[in-house]
Amino acid sequence: MAQETTDRSTGGTDGAAASTGVMIAGRSLWSDARRRLMRDKSAMICFAIIVLYAIVSIGGVVYEILADRYEDIPSFAEMDDSSMIDQPPSFKSWKTLLGTDWYGKPVIIKAFLGAKVSMSVGLISNVIAVPLGMLLGAIAGFYGRWLDSIIVWVFSTLMSIPGLVLLIAIKYAFTGITVWGLDLSGIHGLYIALGIISWIGTCRLVRAEVMKIRELDYIVAARANGTHGFVILLRHVIPNVLHLGIINFSLGFVGAIKAEVMLSYLGLGVEPGTPSWGSMINAARMNLYSGKWWELTAAVGAMFFLVLALNIFGDRLRDAFDPKLRTA
Amino acid sequence: MSENGTLLTVRGLRTQFFTADGVVKAVDGVSFAIGKKQTFALVGESGCGKSVTALSIMRLIPKPPGKIVAGQIILDDQHLANLSERQMRDVRGGRIAMIFQEPMTSLNPVFTVGSQIVEAINLHRGLSRRQAKALAVEMLAQVGIPAPAQRYKEYPHQLSGGMRQRVMIAMALSCDPELLIADEPTTALDVTIQAQILELLRQIQEQRGLSILLITHDLAVVAETADVVGVMYASKIAELTDVRTLYDKPLHPYTQGLFRSLPRLGQKKERLETIPGNVPNPLAFPAGCKFHPRCPVGRDLEKCRAAEPELREVAPKHWVACWECPGYEEAKATDVAVNVAGKEIAGL
Repeated sequence: MAQETTDRSTGGTDGAAASTGVMIAGRSLWSDARRRLMRDKSAMICFAIIVLYAIVSIGGVVYEILADRYEDIPSFAEMDDSSMIDQPPSFKSWKTLLGTDWYGKPVIIKAFLGAKVSMSVGLISNVIAVPLGMLLGAIAGFYGRWLDSIIVWVFSTLMSIPGLVLLIAIKYAFTGITVWGLDLSGIHGLYIALGIISWIGTCRLVRAEVMKIRELDYIVAARANGTHGFVILLRHVIPNVLHLGIINFSLGFVGAIKAEVMLSYLGLGVEPGTPSWGSMINAARMNLYSGKWWELTAAVGAMFFLVLALNIFGDRLRDAFDPKLRTA
Repeated sequence: MSENGTLLTVRGLRTQFFTADGVVKAVDGVSFAIGKKQTFALVGESGCGKSVTALSIMRLIPKPPGKIVAGQIILDDQHLANLSERQMRDVRGGRIAMIFQEPMTSLNPVFTVGSQIVEAINLHRGLSRRQAKALAVEMLAQVGIPAPAQRYKEYPHQLSGGMRQRVMIAMALSCDPELLIADEPTTALDVTIQAQILELLRQIQEQRGLSILLITHDLAVVAETADVVGVMYASKIAELTDVRTLYDKPLHPYTQGLFRSLPRLGQKKERLETIPGNVPNPLAFPAGCKFHPRCPVGRDLEKCRAAEPELREVAPKHWVACWECPGYEEAKATDVAVNVAGKEIAGL
């Protein structure tokens, strides 16, 4: 708590320094936010953690490619070892560092490969959701009238269904469907399902902001200059709400990761046999009775640090982009 | 049509807003003409329809709720109402440019001023990127911004209000328009900066032979810059004539009231006179002459309550809409949308 307050106060002085700094040389909202973020220690630590997870995920991808290509590198499926079943964590070998599972697979490898799934779900579902939400929100807010009515109707309808139920319903609907060679039953379906349900928050936020922006003088000035309406939307309106997209991206990341874990736990997420934190928790569920705690702990721990880092970083990002904090 | 150098003719313009509370007649039969190289000032209180007139000329009335119900807007023989939206976009910025009241908000905060001017240039002129940039820097220099190449790279928040208004003017002029609509260009600025901006506008007008439609409520600004003045009250023009005649011999009681409420040098008075009452609610204009409830002359006259006076030419090129104005009964309702001042006044 004390740590928190000191953090806040240093954040405050940083803000004040940045506000006097605004007047110096050509500095946009973006470079200003970047500077504020760079000075924020907790944000930078969280960013380092996120980068670490990203490196681990890329490592997972590289490993899978190598395992595919070279015979002597065992793929994840080939890691079953009947002599190593259910080993508790110990320093005997790197394989038992976090223990082994029911098939004798090292939990540490599962946790690392799970990062790949979580990070890709967070990234790709948001790459779908955030631009979609921003575009629809901007169109609704800017053009108003019937376009607005349609978009508001769509997201109100989607919002009236509890998120998890909707997610499960979409995942079920995707079962066995293949589009452009992508099997939607597995992780691809998860990206899309999460993309479909998580654009709403961004859309609402952007819509409200755009409704405010479209009345501003520089929009009228752009019209008076003979700029096409759609060009105004792209050139003048969206750049002014882009920071909302960035913030929502970092916060949506957390939601997507949590949703993947939940769905995989329910057996609706990734294909069975794919290592993911959700399927680890699912597998470990029964083992807890017999005192085998390590698989669950590894999955939850791995998730905990990533989610915490993303949450704090997203929060700081929002602060850095908030011009109101600048004058405070 | 464009005899004796008329650039813009507005005839019988009616713009209405269809709101939940009723129809607001924001502009109700306004006619005037602006000659080439001339400054026409539209004067009036807040809400009298000045800005809506300007937006109507640009066809920028938000629709719905607004709509131009009737009237002609003719720019150099071209009826703007007949143009497609696409052709109209070429007119906006290309032939008619506009600057606004609030320079603080009329520039996009996330782009440098240079890139915004370049954008305006690219809309109407087929220039290469380098040429456009050179032109933008040149425009900044022309509107009197020191170190234009440096300013080019700066963001709006780094400039003062006067600087931003200069940038707006540079942007408006970058595509060489024939008409500049200046909607209260100096209202948000300090008096010293106001004078500078007005001086700048005058210089530019001289250099480029630009016509200006100046919208303002500031009679001092009008006296300094305008050639012809239209005084607007409650969606209509109450009096229209050249600036000298208007300041020498205002005929409409409203105009007279406006002049009486100005402080004068050497005048020893405790209080300035005011025009009693408020601007009427556009949803419920009074019957008869819209000014009669506030009018020192016609407040109790049956004639003023009964019917609304039209604009009549009571003296050569001097139109007034007032029953009690001397000579009004005999005067004829001639076409108001003619070039009033001609070149001899414009050259003064």
